[in-house]
Amino acid sequence: MWTDFLILMKQEMAVIAMIFILLFMKLGRDRSNESFMNTMNVLLLLNLILGFVFNHEGILFNEMFRTSRLIAFEKNILNLAMLIISLQSYSWLKTNKHVPEFYILMLSSLLGMFFMISSGNLLMFYLGLEMSTIPLAAAANFDLTKRRSSEGAMKLIFSSAFSSACLLFGISMLYGTTGTLVFSELPHLINNNPLQLFAFILIIAGFAFKISVVPFHLWTADVYEGAPVAVTSFLSVVSKGAVLFAFVSVLYTVFSPLAKVWYNMLFILSLLTIITGNLFAIRQENFKRFLAFSSIAQVGFILVGISRSSDISTTSVIYFVLIYVFSNLAAFGVVSLVTAVTGKENISDYKGFYKTNPGLSWVLTIALFSLAGVPPTAGFFGKFFLLIAGAGKGNYVLISIAAVNIVISLYYYLRVVKAIFMDANPTPLPSIRTPLMPKLAFIVCVAGAVTIGVVSPVYDYIYSLIVLR
Amino acid sequence: MGTAQILFWSLTALALISAIMVLVSKNPVYSVLWLIVVFFAISGHYILLNAQFLAIVNLIVYAGAIMVLFLFVIMLMNLNTETEPQKSIWMKFFGVVAGGLLLSFFISFVISSADLKGKSAQLKEGEIGLIKTLGKALFNDYVIPFEIASILFLSAMVGAVVIGKKD
Repeated sequence: MWTDFLILMKQEMAVIAMIFILLFMKLGRDRSNESFMNTMNVLLLLNLILGFVFNHEGILFNEMFRTSRLIAFEKNILNLAMLIISLQSYSWLKTNKHVPEFYILMLSSLLGMFFMISSGNLLMFYLGLEMSTIPLAAAANFDLTKRRSSEGAMKLIFSSAFSSACLLFGISMLYGTTGTLVFSELPHLINNNPLQLFAFILIIAGFAFKISVVPFHLWTADVYEGAPVAVTSFLSVVSKGAVLFAFVSVLYTVFSPLAKVWYNMLFILSLLTIITGNLFAIRQENFKRFLAFSSIAQVGFILVGISRSSDISTTSVIYFVLIYVFSNLAAFGVVSLVTAVTGKENISDYKGFYKTNPGLSWVLTIALFSLAGVPPTAGFFGKFFLLIAGAGKGNYVLISIAAVNIVISLYYYLRVVKAIFMDANPTPLPSIRTPLMPKLAFIVCVAGAVTIGVVSPVYDYIYSLIVLR
Repeated sequence: MGTAQILFWSLTALALISAIMVLVSKNPVYSVLWLIVVFFAISGHYILLNAQFLAIVNLIVYAGAIMVLFLFVIMLMNLNTETEPQKSIWMKFFGVVAGGLLLSFFISFVISSADLKGKSAQLKEGEIGLIKTLGKALFNDYVIPFEIASILFLSAMVGAVVIGKKD
């Protein structure tokens, strides 16, 4: 029935519809930026609500596309993050000349991520991954007058092309040895033969590039620094979250016969990632670079959770990404607002920030506390569940080094908080008026970062989605 | 040795020799021209495997469109033998060693892989590469990637226009 296909693909259809509405609005008479942004925010909100109703399981087009309540929930997280980013970038977009193009690029990237998460075939997976990165490279160049922005975009497109090449080479070798690309058939055909192991390493390398796992992280800081803050937050939250969701499902289903191999890989990669991310984050002066290395360290913690393949680890990863959406976007939102109004983005500029902007200071502080994992905030529970999931394998070396690194990370997060509240500064940043839309986004983020940790039904809900599958 | 085999070996030799020439040519324009020869040789291989569509597309897209772009860029930037950066002999040596090691690893993987043993390429008899089969596969099994690719191109085009416009 053709109606089945409309219901199963409703989220993708909604995003495609938004892309085309934007195209036709752009082609029509001239409109103000305000009208574009208001339309988009309403549409994104509708899209988010649509994601929660009529969720069914199903497989379409010879397993090219599959969906379940869990996948729909993952897409809802991404939709929510997209809506928050759209609200937060209000101050920056207000004066931008290319608002519809910005939304088209972001939405097509989002569409690519949806297809990547829903893919049941490596071909479709690869196409979704490409579609999620190519528009982002163009969007990273959106500050057309800044050289750094172009530099970031070039680095992004080169590193993503390289990682796609690795991934594609791996996929082609996997196809050569098994003769199929379908996720449900691959696990039965994968054995430990060397060519498949080599293919597996290449595929993991491709993934590691996208979620910036050390040693594949070199592009991250430069791209984050150069790109406009809205694109940076999209890269660090939405893009990373989507690839993580896909990574978990590919690792646990397709590569389940190689579990022993990838456990050792994840053990080394996660420790390297956490330690390198932490050590470099301590030295950063630029706020965006600081958040870049902090996000690298966070991915390391997620890998600790992934290393045990069970329902609990899937739950903890999705739960952590949800929390990460709130806390990281709150931090990026404040940086975005400050950069749009004053053009300053160094940590030392934030000295004495509390004197002039108490509200924004509290938002930033709660966000940083949540990222660091200080108990009342949700970030603590996120990391707690990740480590519990990782501890299930009984590898206490991994868990204790990760736990020590949580303490180290406290140092650099609190350094920023100290600059905001305690450091004296004769010329603090001017008082910034927060427009309505970013204010809404901040309220959502702070509410999420504070409550999700203590509201246990959220975790239970995610767990029930995974078990029911 | 049948005709197909004679053709195969001569095309292979041509492809390898011209690929080496791409690397060792001092003048970038010569490199690009040798690369076109590589593409022609590979298209010949596709025809031997009865993949006519792939052969034609390889010629049109790679040898035609992309190589013209390469030549334009090289000629506009006026690259020639003098502007070619000189690398030290040690760098070349270690490059060859590293590449050779990767290749020998790869060959040993392929040899030890049981699934690939005793299988040979289907010369002249495969039907997968024919345009009719390909069209059917594209619009039946692979219809959704085919349609999604159009949105990918749309967004790439929008991105290129935004970056390309000066104001």
